[in-house]
Amino acid sequence: MKLNHIKNNITGEEMYYGKHSSGLGVYIIPKEDYSKTYAIFGTRYGSVDSKFVVPGETEATEVPDGIAHYLEHKMFDQPDGSNVFDKFSKYGGNANAFTSFNITAYLFSATANVEENLAALMDYVQSPYFTDESVQKEQGIIGQEIRMYDDSGNWKLFFNFLNCLYQNHPVKKEIAGTVESISYITPEYLYKCYNTFYNLSNMSIVVVGKADAEKIAKVIEDGVKKNEPFEEEIKKIYPEEPKEIAKDYAEQSLSVAMPLFMMGFKDTDTGYGGKELLKKSIEMNILLKMLFGKSSKLYKELYEKGLINNRFSLEYTMQPSYGYSSIDGESSDPKAVYDAVMGEVERVRKDGLDQDAFERMKKVMWGEYIRSQNDVEDYATTFMQLLFMDIDYFNYYDVYKTVTFEDVEKRFNEHFVKERSALSVINPV
Amino acid sequence: MESLKINDNINLYYVPMKKLKTTSIGVYIHRALSADEASKNAVLPYVMKRGCKLCPDSSAVAKYLENLYGASLGTGILKRGDDHIIYFGFETISDKYAPDKEPLTADGIKLMMSVLFEPDAFDDETVMQEKKNASDRITAEMNDKRQYAQLRCSEEMCKGESFALSRLGTKEGVEAITADELRKHYEKIITSSAMDIYVCGDADINALGEEIKKYTSKLNFEEANIVKTSIFEGHGDVKRITDNMDVVQGKLSMGFRTGVAADSADYVPLMVTNSIFGGGAHSKLFNNVREKLSLCYYASSSTVRNKGIMFVNAGIEFQNFEKAYDEILVQLDNVKKGDISDLEFESSVNALINELESYNDDQNAIQFFYLSEKIAGTNYNIDELKDKISRVTIEDVKRVASNIELDTVYFLTGKEG
Repeated sequence: MKLNHIKNNITGEEMYYGKHSSGLGVYIIPKEDYSKTYAIFGTRYGSVDSKFVVPGETEATEVPDGIAHYLEHKMFDQPDGSNVFDKFSKYGGNANAFTSFNITAYLFSATANVEENLAALMDYVQSPYFTDESVQKEQGIIGQEIRMYDDSGNWKLFFNFLNCLYQNHPVKKEIAGTVESISYITPEYLYKCYNTFYNLSNMSIVVVGKADAEKIAKVIEDGVKKNEPFEEEIKKIYPEEPKEIAKDYAEQSLSVAMPLFMMGFKDTDTGYGGKELLKKSIEMNILLKMLFGKSSKLYKELYEKGLINNRFSLEYTMQPSYGYSSIDGESSDPKAVYDAVMGEVERVRKDGLDQDAFERMKKVMWGEYIRSQNDVEDYATTFMQLLFMDIDYFNYYDVYKTVTFEDVEKRFNEHFVKERSALSVINPV
Repeated sequence: MESLKINDNINLYYVPMKKLKTTSIGVYIHRALSADEASKNAVLPYVMKRGCKLCPDSSAVAKYLENLYGASLGTGILKRGDDHIIYFGFETISDKYAPDKEPLTADGIKLMMSVLFEPDAFDDETVMQEKKNASDRITAEMNDKRQYAQLRCSEEMCKGESFALSRLGTKEGVEAITADELRKHYEKIITSSAMDIYVCGDADINALGEEIKKYTSKLNFEEANIVKTSIFEGHGDVKRITDNMDVVQGKLSMGFRTGVAADSADYVPLMVTNSIFGGGAHSKLFNNVREKLSLCYYASSSTVRNKGIMFVNAGIEFQNFEKAYDEILVQLDNVKKGDISDLEFESSVNALINELESYNDDQNAIQFFYLSEKIAGTNYNIDELKDKISRVTIEDVKRVASNIELDTVYFLTGKEG
């Protein structure tokens, strides 16, 4: 495998990257003087991918909800009956895995025996072994994971919010599925998903931290078990999502101390990844901070009135197939917060955005980018998430520098439309 | 780590971490946890952060930070044994990465010093707002049921001792505070508390020391030390507490007394013991309560170093209480008997060493590490502690484990009927 090398003169970061003949993408970012190495091996496959066409087949396959997450759990069982964690533990590696809407990833961090840990990672993710008995056993554990989320106000708040914004898109469904949907999962389904999405041409590995790029690349190359890349793309089938939201309000009662709220706007400018998507996300993040951030007029007003407290956060979530902005926090009167946000949007539409605030928030975005390179875990995870959206995070500056006040003004007018906004509330019992 | 004594109360520490792209500053003000002042301590830093001579109100603070490329200024209240700590944290990208060569770290210390020594927000309205927020934080502790169960277990276990007090104070205590009292409390503690300032990243410790002295040299300090915590002695019989709440999953929290003091030679073997028992995916609790019996998604143990306590937490179906409880005790017995495989032992030691080495890449973790060593009175550095961990034997683990005794069992369950 040929490794390319690039250096970013602004950040001082270096990266080695290449594509193995199996289709596996390899990205190595060595960090001088670090104690720790973090490796993440991921597939472009998450909870939203329950309907797809396997390359070479003509019919669509549909599988039970929650299967990507279930598969992640079951990857830890090995054909020889050994426990994956034992291998990492032996080498002092700290192993874990996660499933999100769009990604399933297996990872470890270690301060010693990096090559041994990496070989173990390569090995187990390519060794599926599912039996009726082992699949059955996991129902209890995942059942308890689902029950744990059932008691989590913040989790329910979030999914109720997504269910307001989306009529059909599977992002509105819980990642782990339901106790019922997972009861339909069989070894056959797991193998079908594994053989489709875990083909190395659908996967990448990112290593950040203490690393000798040549040695790391060799371990990865030697660890490849199946060199049969798909010739065509895996076709993922998502239902048609209208521009309109499903509903503008949801509430639920749970055992929480005070009402929790999450509100936001559905993004209808979707369907693309790459530089364009990165630029949109920078614009959106700048806008959210300008309008509702800690130095904004609205924040001061809401905080001083006691309508919000220190738990108040702003986020723009992006994917090629969907996107939304969100504001969440605690409030004794979520509807008053919602009304104040809408009022502020209307005021700004009349009075215009503040150029000084734009300049400050653009600085903040640069600080966030630089800061994101500190922690090897966050850096590698962000890098992979963006990679799967065809975004080159390493050269963030190239896109960042093109963002203008006019771009942000245009984005403001497009995105902040009341008809596409919704409010989710969790009330105390 | 380099250190510089600012005066009898204030110590400045510098941990160079130039490989990271940020510089962070943590200020830790140590108070003895007491019913009298816990609530005031819990409100105070939030008021101080609202305005100072340099930045008169919170919008000015926010703009100041935004101009430093989104630097952050946070505050919080910590509890380490009976040490009640008021915390301020600042983090910025290091000067080297400032596009226009701005002195970001120096600007950061100026803001922190102004917040610490020139706060100017003790008006009735601001204090009232922050009292409400402080009270909401107390109520909000029930939101995370997993943490809440351990908190309740700890509270019941140590009832009557200062450690049972919440780091957030009480709602009644917060309610009773007046703006005038809070200002007086500030004036009292700022010159009569041990204060540690940790700077990690890329900075000039002497220049920072000079800047800090500009503020402190005008004040008269009264010498103060960090409070010593006595370890938990315990009850004879096991105390059993059940709370009912509108939840679908039960939360079990079990409190054990370890008899091991923070600065005892047995503390390091206790770290290994805890790791074997429930300190991660290599542990007995994970492999038996979760993997073998499928009773839960999480089951883990942790120690409270300064109080000689160990907690076990698990999220389970209500009706599985007995099964989980029994299995947890069976696994503890196995540790006591020394029924520990080489792999379990080796994995536990490696996990601890891996974690310690990781601190070298994390500015917050390194601050907490040194702070914890200072409070315990051991002052080990990472290499010393690693060395001690690697010398622990199974015999040490058996000896330490044999003194671990169940004290309190707490169960958060659903509403009946």
